[in-house]
Amino acid sequence: MTLTPAELTSAVSGGIGTSPQRPDGNLKVRGEFAYASDLWHEDMIWGATLRSPHPYARITSVDITEALKVPGVYAVLTADDVPGRNLYGLEHKDQPVLAVDVVRYQGEPIALVGADHPETALRAMKKIVVTYEVLEPVVDMETAVDDTPLHPGGNLVRHVPIRRGSQDVTAEVVVTGRYEVGMQDQAFLGPESGLAVPASDGSVDLYIATQWLHVDRDQIAAALGLPQEQVRLTLSGVGGAFGGREDLSMQVHACLLALHTGKPVKMVYNREESFYGHVHRHPAVLYYEHGADHTGKLVYVRTRMYLDGGAYASSTPAVVANAATLGVGPYEVDNVTVDAYGVYTNNPPCGAMRGFGAVQAGFAYESQMDKLAEALGMSPVDVRVRNAMTEGSVMPTGQVVDSAAPVAQLLKLVQDKPLPAGTSSDIRELPGGVSNTTHGEGVVRRVGYAVGIKNICFSEGYDDYSTARVRVSMVNGSLSAAVHTAACEVGQGLVTIMQQIVRTELGIERVTVLPMDTTIGNGGSTSASRQTYVTGGAVKAACALVRDKLAGRTDIGDEVIDETTEWRHRATEAIDPVTGQGNAHVQYGFAAHRAVVDVDVDLGLVRVVALDCAQDVGKALNPQAVVGQIQGGSAQGLGLAVMEEIQTSGGKVRNPSFTDYLIPTVLDMPPMSIDVLELADPHAPYGIRGVGEPPTISSTPAIVAAIRAATGLALTRVPVRPEHLTGT
Amino acid sequence: MRVNVTVNGEQRQADDVWEGESLLFMLRERLGLPGSKNACEQGECGSCTVYLDNVPVCACLVAAGQAQDRSVRTVEGLAEGDQLDPVQEAFVEAGAVQCGFCTPGLVVQAHDLLDRVPNPSDPEIREALAGNLCRCTGYEKILDAVRLAASRR
Amino acid sequence: MHAFDYAAASTVRGALDLAGPGSAFLAGGTTLVDLMKLDVLTPDRVIDVNALPLKGIRLHDGALRIGALERMSDVAAHPVVRSVHPVISKALLLSASGQVRNMASIGGNLMQRTRCDYFRDVTSACNKRRPGSGCPALTGVNRNHAVLGTSDSCVATHASDVAVAFVALDAQVVLRSKDGDRVAPLEEFYRLPGSTPDRENVLGPGELIAEVVVPVLPWARHSTYLKIRDRQSYEFALTSVAAAVDVKRGVVQDVRLAAGGVAAKPWRLRAVEEALKGGVAIERTFAEAAESAVDGARPLAHNAFKTALLKRTIVRALLDAAGAR
Repeated sequence: MTLTPAELTSAVSGGIGTSPQRPDGNLKVRGEFAYASDLWHEDMIWGATLRSPHPYARITSVDITEALKVPGVYAVLTADDVPGRNLYGLEHKDQPVLAVDVVRYQGEPIALVGADHPETALRAMKKIVVTYEVLEPVVDMETAVDDTPLHPGGNLVRHVPIRRGSQDVTAEVVVTGRYEVGMQDQAFLGPESGLAVPASDGSVDLYIATQWLHVDRDQIAAALGLPQEQVRLTLSGVGGAFGGREDLSMQVHACLLALHTGKPVKMVYNREESFYGHVHRHPAVLYYEHGADHTGKLVYVRTRMYLDGGAYASSTPAVVANAATLGVGPYEVDNVTVDAYGVYTNNPPCGAMRGFGAVQAGFAYESQMDKLAEALGMSPVDVRVRNAMTEGSVMPTGQVVDSAAPVAQLLKLVQDKPLPAGTSSDIRELPGGVSNTTHGEGVVRRVGYAVGIKNICFSEGYDDYSTARVRVSMVNGSLSAAVHTAACEVGQGLVTIMQQIVRTELGIERVTVLPMDTTIGNGGSTSASRQTYVTGGAVKAACALVRDKLAGRTDIGDEVIDETTEWRHRATEAIDPVTGQGNAHVQYGFAAHRAVVDVDVDLGLVRVVALDCAQDVGKALNPQAVVGQIQGGSAQGLGLAVMEEIQTSGGKVRNPSFTDYLIPTVLDMPPMSIDVLELADPHAPYGIRGVGEPPTISSTPAIVAAIRAATGLALTRVPVRPEHLTGT
Repeated sequence: MRVNVTVNGEQRQADDVWEGESLLFMLRERLGLPGSKNACEQGECGSCTVYLDNVPVCACLVAAGQAQDRSVRTVEGLAEGDQLDPVQEAFVEAGAVQCGFCTPGLVVQAHDLLDRVPNPSDPEIREALAGNLCRCTGYEKILDAVRLAASRR
Repeated sequence: MHAFDYAAASTVRGALDLAGPGSAFLAGGTTLVDLMKLDVLTPDRVIDVNALPLKGIRLHDGALRIGALERMSDVAAHPVVRSVHPVISKALLLSASGQVRNMASIGGNLMQRTRCDYFRDVTSACNKRRPGSGCPALTGVNRNHAVLGTSDSCVATHASDVAVAFVALDAQVVLRSKDGDRVAPLEEFYRLPGSTPDRENVLGPGELIAEVVVPVLPWARHSTYLKIRDRQSYEFALTSVAAAVDVKRGVVQDVRLAAGGVAAKPWRLRAVEEALKGGVAIERTFAEAAESAVDGARPLAHNAFKTALLKRTIVRALLDAAGAR
């Protein structure tokens, strides 16, 4: 029997547009899913990392003698033991695997210990004697460029200017502001961990929680001085990522210890070490000036922004480009001046986190839009709709937005949602909640709106592709498929999406997802909301090759059809280094939020009562997962709005724990009403639009707008804390 | 030291336990039960929640020696063979599992809630789960899962 | 973690025999295990006291008596506690998380250490942890620190919620040693930091808390505990207040007030109590009386907001306890 593709699709359940259960769900609820920190190997030892207590210091000596004498210790390694290039980095190779002569941030790795028990490793670590000449740290992002140079090229990582239209046009109504965004942490729950297993031929296998297997591998191989094929990576269970696993943490360290000792080495960070072990969201200072005519139409936007990259570059260049190119928001503006600066300091290194530069700009430009609305006597929604971009609008980079940009529609959707019932009489639903702080006295309820824009996929001419392999054979008399990629499942549900795509494309219900590893080509990073787009596109393309060979057969006997292909989205361009003009991005995603907030204005307590969202996702391949992304992303935005910040003092982190770095609990998150639009992007597989990041951008400014409305305060900095509201 | 402890109904013995090890470490590294998770190891996130003598606690703050002659039930002990507990089933169905690292702790804590309060209100669910952090889901689908499990038990 | 011996005791005598310089008693473990992981506490011997007969919640001789080994969750849920002194139950339920309350003991709660980050960070100086090394919190990140009862040596807050309720209620602690029992008012059990912030209480070596004794105050059934914190749950207090008020015909007859999150120890607000007595139980009276709560306050660079916030917290607590809202 032969069937047409359409008949095949309708013949199986669990294809695209449905919400089948995750293939890893049962294992996860049973506690049997193997995360990186759960791995175990016969004869394995444990690694530990000695880190700098100083944000900036010269290392004058490192003495490992006593540490080596501790019974149970197999190796103590320093920079001298790094056989290859002792520098790595996503964009600039500026970060040592182990520090040489100087440390540039608190927590920078200096030495490694391998021992038979984690406690033995820690005790030996304390016997390593490092002497320092402590130096004055550079900590102010606004003056860093003129301060002590921390790297040979000075402290400017990247300046992105954008010049569009007139640079000196004037306007009837002008609002200005200075905004600050605190340093947010990804706070994924699964700590950095992995298991390195040495092979007798001098090669190594690493089982690891990461976002990007191939770029990890390339950096590890370079540091180990090994050819790439001698470093094999397999993805283990990943306990969340949100950008924080795009850079290396313990990858090279575990491999170094394994190759040195000839033993499998497990490394697991604890929570404190995790705060030192990964990059954070760039804190930012942003100056804005918006000019508009009396109807509210924007005439110009001028901004100067600083993003603190901390000690090493990580992805700062791309973060700065995002903040700049998306710096006016989802609005049509003819005259734009942007100067965005990413700088080095001795603060913790910052890099990728969900929203990636668009979050910082989003808080500032949306605060400005509210200020403009107030100056004009317009409603916050009206002033946004007046300027909302649409398909065909031109970005400040000159790029024409060539698919749906339903900015006004998203705003109206959240505006038209029913408001929650009035202030509750149940104290558990009031600010302070069970803390018993109010029965309604002092409580003011207000509403805030925000909308945001995010580029989807990698930008600025990056060769952004993914590789997928689909294999089909007969199992127990029916067709069965296996899909293989190196694209990292970090919790978002890519494993489910890949199964769904194969089912839809091939009409085969039974689809196995093979372990993600480096035996297949690059899958690209699980970031920039890109995996469904790019790896989804690759799986779809591989299925097309398989389908040709299958030729409608439902029984292929002993034959195995096995196809591998690379798939790329359409190319982007570098932007002009002087004017910032260029088609930098492949796709834009949009989300809008309406926050309803009760503020106890006497005690400074905030309760977000409702946080409603509308987002265009092009096509919801898995509606349940789409909503899950919107809920989770919105929660992270809520955290930034009212509680989350890594506090530093003189470059030192003062709250590296979940006791002191607060993330929202179930009591802090309100119910959400969510509208998902499906306006297909003709350039994308199935018309999809990346989902993960846009909701993180607009939830923060929407909440702060509502708090401003309730208090009448300017609130130019996030997170907003009680003392910012009590006027005390 | 040696620790004798009943785990998921089985009498277990852990040898060469170092005094400073937590119950969590003993379960994960000595008894082959890594289901309870090590997200903060400071009692702040609830991902290591286990029953200790039928009361849910953070295993990371329990010294291994404190478990001597006591009974522990972990997430691995909730299902009956292939049959998931209704709480586990509901977490998968409701989409309450993303990365899943918080899931074992939440499943145990929700299991305890439903044992004590068969039909909890939303505020009761929220209060009961307030010691369990989740970073992926925004909690809404976790609430859905607990409501669903309650409706089935 | 520092190496140590682990010993379990089954009698108080046995526990006290095992105790010595450098030993620590282990009850719930939620503070001790945490601080040992951080190397903040480095006992040579840990004595598990969980099997000791220091349990029981009962009314006896006009007092509520709570054994030191009772778990926070059991005390909070106990019908006698809830009916006689609901403020104790409320304070407990606003502490930590369900899982932690299921482990942590009442005695351990009273012995918990400050959340000052410099105390918890062994790479920092800290006069409490390493006497004479200095106090970086004085000029550092001190938003969460104390404004009352501090010294030039230490500005840490006391972290307990239930101790605030106990102090408001004139609770006493029974301290047991080989020499027998002695009784101390909880308020005097805690020491102010002065120049010796490492000595936080009057407990002698080889002495442990056996029991908490809370006098029954019939009108204290109208009592409350409220807490201002940075998120809805599972977070320490910026300010908190335990309040019990006896109002007859609209006039305050008697009142008990104590504050948390603002002081070096659970902070009884006697001046405010005095100012309230005989006053009309309305918001203005409460607000005027609350002014004296911060007499002598020494705000730091980042915690000055606590003085006004404390006064407002007191007003809210009084409104609630007096049933005036």
